[in-house]
Amino acid sequence: MTDNYYVCPGCALLCDDIEVETEDNKITKMYTACMKGVARMKGCSSPLECTVEQEAADVDASIEKAAAILKDAKNPLIFGHGNSSSEAQKVAIEIAKRTGAYIDDTSSFCQGPIIEAILQEKLKTCTLDDVRDKADVTVFWGADPANSHPRHLSRYSYFPRGKERQRGWEEDRTLITVDIRKSDTSEIAGNSGFFQIPIKGDAEFMNALVDGLSSKVPKTSFNFDKKKILELSNTLKKAKFGVIGVGLGLLYSLEELEPLFALMDKLNSVSNFHIIPMVGQYNMRGFNHNLFEETGYINRVKFDIESGQAKHGAEYSVVEALKERSVDAALVIGSDPLSSLPLPVARYLADIPLIDIDPCQNLTATKANVTIPCALGGVESGGTAVRMDGVEIELKQIVETDKLSDKEVLTRIMEAL
Amino acid sequence: MGFGQFLAAPELKLTIVTYRDIFQNSALEVSRFDEKYEELSAIIKLDPNDISKLVIKDGETVTVKSGAEKVVVKAQISGYEEKHEGVAYMVNSPWSNALISDNTHGTGVPSFKNFEVVVQSAKGEKVTGIKEIF
Repeated sequence: MTDNYYVCPGCALLCDDIEVETEDNKITKMYTACMKGVARMKGCSSPLECTVEQEAADVDASIEKAAAILKDAKNPLIFGHGNSSSEAQKVAIEIAKRTGAYIDDTSSFCQGPIIEAILQEKLKTCTLDDVRDKADVTVFWGADPANSHPRHLSRYSYFPRGKERQRGWEEDRTLITVDIRKSDTSEIAGNSGFFQIPIKGDAEFMNALVDGLSSKVPKTSFNFDKKKILELSNTLKKAKFGVIGVGLGLLYSLEELEPLFALMDKLNSVSNFHIIPMVGQYNMRGFNHNLFEETGYINRVKFDIESGQAKHGAEYSVVEALKERSVDAALVIGSDPLSSLPLPVARYLADIPLIDIDPCQNLTATKANVTIPCALGGVESGGTAVRMDGVEIELKQIVETDKLSDKEVLTRIMEAL
Repeated sequence: MGFGQFLAAPELKLTIVTYRDIFQNSALEVSRFDEKYEELSAIIKLDPNDISKLVIKDGETVTVKSGAEKVVVKAQISGYEEKHEGVAYMVNSPWSNALISDNTHGTGVPSFKNFEVVVQSAKGEKVTGIKEIF
């Protein structure tokens, strides 16, 4: 985009067509962003304060204390990263290496398996620009972008005119949703485009679709209308450029990815289909790429302090490591695990020495031994991030701030180690 | 004084499915400590028949229990066309996460979108505040 446009860090769509007006280093007006993007970019009403043991402190003292906590720990955890720039994430990986830490992010309990399969070239993917220009059939499976990624449909997947889709949604595009409830996106897809399945029925519905695509009679234990499955199979078969947006509803329902692999194999033997993970946080995928580049794993890593070698597995996931009490201190950046983790593990996290780095006050900060405010990425500081489709996007700084960027905070902690 | 006051409010076992809501998510961006975020987060959406079984009215508070954890949230009629008795919806928030078990059967992925709870009227009780969840 041109110099007049900025990138929104509200979600992993990273919309790059945002115009802003500023006054006194504050964004006063915004154009084109969704309501979530506006709320993110205008900044929170309760910024994080710099504290040590819940008392006001200066940045130097809090960085020193943060480094001391990490040095004293035998098995620290470095967690978050989804709202950090790629530059900050790389420093976080270095800190984890230096301290022999566990390092993980929210992909550990959301889109991780899909991103891993894409990076290992087990699933065919495409860019959002391809979706805008070419996609004629888009399926949102267990995803509700009308709420999670409000501009997905208007910028890319349904409403716009694209190079090969000049007639837009009226004639050139078909929207399908597969979900256990009629979501707001399902309302847009209409009754003919909405396929309501029971809880945990996703794998079986995928198998039935494979049968439908193979000219067999599709059967499900929940007696889904066979005619409707065959009609859907036909729509998918006829697609010139198909896309499946994989949401958490699908991922949490599948015990393994095999049914999805089988469906994609079948679809690509009769048609042309691509997968895009519906990533939430603006740079979660960037963390997966950066850790993959460094270790060959996208998340759930523990570094050996002596050799620097990375170990990987479910036992190194944030949830299992906290549940097993294997972690004895934690640094959290750009995330609020006390809000997002199950309460028993969140309580344990609150009990161990805890460092929180964030632009805003959050629940994790209320229990942290050290809090360090950082600049709001994409507004008060620049950097790079990876969009949900794997495309790297440059975020520009919009307003000036006294706060350190996330990368600068981590670099200073690294230096103090 | 009626006889009814000596009877315990009926309990209902329900499956919870969590979902995302743009309005709640935008309120989170402003501040998770504001009333608006609590108002849009501390809710459970129920089928009208389940509301009747609980002997409550739309907008009254209920206790939602899972294992040793519990929160008090506002009950709302879901408004979905399809009946969904036995299944209730909660927006993804610290209130729903408080009810999720940390038992992942070794996978590292908690059951965020499908878990069992017991719901009961909490008539007169206030919604659990975000800082009281811990």
